[in-house]
Amino acid sequence: METSLHRIAINSGGGYVPGLNAVVAGAVLSASNLGLEVVGIYDGYDGLMTRENYPEGGLVRLSPNVIENLIGSDGSILGTAARTDPFRFRTINAENFVEEVDRSDELLEKIRAEKIDAVISVVGGSALTGMHALSVAFKLSRKGLRTVCVPKSVENDISVTALSFGYNSALSYTTETLARIRTAARDVHRIAVVEVLGHQAGWLALQSGMAVCADVVLIPEIPYDLREAAAKLREDEKAGRRPSLVVVAEGAIPKNDDASSADSSQNLQEHGLRKSLSPLSDPRFGEGARVIERSGLAAETVALKLQKLTDHETFPVVLGQLVRGGAPTAVDRQLGLGYGAAAVRALDSGQSGVMVAFQPPDLKFVPLAETINKVRTVPANSEFVQIARALGISLGD
Amino acid sequence: MSQATPNQKGLVLNIQHFCTNDGPGIRTTVFLKFCSLRCKWCCNPESIGQRPELAYDINKCIGKKACGKCLQPPAPEGAMYVLDGPDDRVHINWDLAQGCGEETTSVCPTGALYLFGQEMTVDQVLDEVEQDSAFYRESGGGVTLSGGECLLQPDFSTALLAEAHERGINTAIETAGNVPWAFMEEVLPHVDTVLHDHKLTDPIRHKKWVGADNTRILANFKKAYETFPDKTFIARTPIIPGVNDDEEHIRSVLAFIRPHKNVVDYQLLPYHRYGETKYGFLGKVYELEDFTPPSSETMDRLRAIIDESFGRTAAGKTG
Repeated sequence: METSLHRIAINSGGGYVPGLNAVVAGAVLSASNLGLEVVGIYDGYDGLMTRENYPEGGLVRLSPNVIENLIGSDGSILGTAARTDPFRFRTINAENFVEEVDRSDELLEKIRAEKIDAVISVVGGSALTGMHALSVAFKLSRKGLRTVCVPKSVENDISVTALSFGYNSALSYTTETLARIRTAARDVHRIAVVEVLGHQAGWLALQSGMAVCADVVLIPEIPYDLREAAAKLREDEKAGRRPSLVVVAEGAIPKNDDASSADSSQNLQEHGLRKSLSPLSDPRFGEGARVIERSGLAAETVALKLQKLTDHETFPVVLGQLVRGGAPTAVDRQLGLGYGAAAVRALDSGQSGVMVAFQPPDLKFVPLAETINKVRTVPANSEFVQIARALGISLGD
Repeated sequence: MSQATPNQKGLVLNIQHFCTNDGPGIRTTVFLKFCSLRCKWCCNPESIGQRPELAYDINKCIGKKACGKCLQPPAPEGAMYVLDGPDDRVHINWDLAQGCGEETTSVCPTGALYLFGQEMTVDQVLDEVEQDSAFYRESGGGVTLSGGECLLQPDFSTALLAEAHERGINTAIETAGNVPWAFMEEVLPHVDTVLHDHKLTDPIRHKKWVGADNTRILANFKKAYETFPDKTFIARTPIIPGVNDDEEHIRSVLAFIRPHKNVVDYQLLPYHRYGETKYGFLGKVYELEDFTPPSSETMDRLRAIIDESFGRTAAGKTG
């Protein structure tokens, strides 16, 4: 039987996205109105698991008069935890061996000892570390922890919510930067190939590319043929438009029959752009050498191939993780505040093991089991795709 | 002390033939599972765990429509899943797939799901190793135990190396030395050449990059040099740019090894990213995503310091 609600903890798993403090503020202000106390756990669950590493004890009491000043601020008052895991907690045993041990029971005991009745965890999305934070919350929930999750993602790829907080800020910054790059590229008569986040979902590439009317946008959901993209660039040029900007999501994949990429030894559709077009993708370099995961390869590879196909000078630019930083936009501020407040409302109404989701026009609560292992991708026939085509943007297909 | 028997079983990761960088001559390298360190640049992440562990190659998956056998028990709830869309190949939620073993991989007809690590007896291993005996004779090679950390299976390693000697095969091990001294003391009598790592000098930096400090490692190596004066030791350092590619580290290792005449060489191994694929197969994060191999100029500069210390010219000849 669940105990009554007096003290709520809040933490953040995975990496930073703009608006984290707004979520915390939303939860604290809402809880305060209900007469509930809120404490923050530093760095995911590290503040509780390794309290000895925190001079102030790993927990911080969050009062409304302090937190409300941080709503629009850059950074995270609670820190983040990209790689820690109470189920595989890295430690050094008495033999000086490094090992990973399951300390989830110990964590739950510490939560009880701190008289914490429930935990709000900010988690997301589909990338390895984000999925990991959600899975950890799901497993703790199955072990009896009263918990509500809030979705964060700069790729907007969490399946159950129309808008994750952090996405709008990343989209705004990406759009602004793309506009600057395009001006610079046009000025020197070159084509910029800009890689943006989006391993499985192309929202960020598509919507930022639309916002600046890029010449070409390549996303994971629509396999591309660079010959098509090159043909579009040539047509534009004949029509008097100087091509200057190609946006490529890091997970964009070429079509199977894309002859422009045929020098790769791997089946291109199978491995994705970053993998199949890796400089070391040739097995002649040795067993296990074919996949080299590093940011920038998508832009680098597409830039080189487009240069061959168009005889225009190209240059790669990688925005990547840069767009995760910064202060939240107005949309992410109000979304974060709303998510934080809704998480408290869910707990106050007796719900647990759910994620707050924006399903316009409502904020709803979706069971965690329905949120894991899903990715919100761009439907190939979606309105956004049709608008992009209507604007004359090539999607490389 | 020794529990070694001829029928000893060990957890073997892989047997690799025709290796030329794992000791003298052409060698067959036997990789054992289990490691007590967590080097961020590790190129054998599949060797770290103490038990067989789940691995997955999505390129071999034939999809939910054609198969889908792993999407039901005995796989744990949520461990395997398929995303919406035309690609119906299975994905793994590595957090929910913890503990999956043979009961999970055995249902996969294509080998997309498999386990890293299998139990083998000393005879099974050496029967395969012996297939290369002609090459050992011609080149002065033999068998090398690597890992993981081969000294963490001391009884199996002892039995295997002793039996190799019985069969006339030269023996070597690759070790990082982070084991109880008793393990080293048990195994080393059966080893001809000991290839041992000096990854970082400073114990705090060693802990940051490797996971544990090096106090016991250095104590073990010093004791090994003195306890086994007739064995051949070769020190090695994987050169990681921005981590240990400094002259200070090289000189400190030389200061440690040069007083011991049985340490006959110090070799530098340039960092490479060949193991990165395997992190994906295991669902692990490769933390050195943006690291690149050291330049040939850096390697030459650092090797020149070693050559000078050993009294060699740059071409490797005694000066």
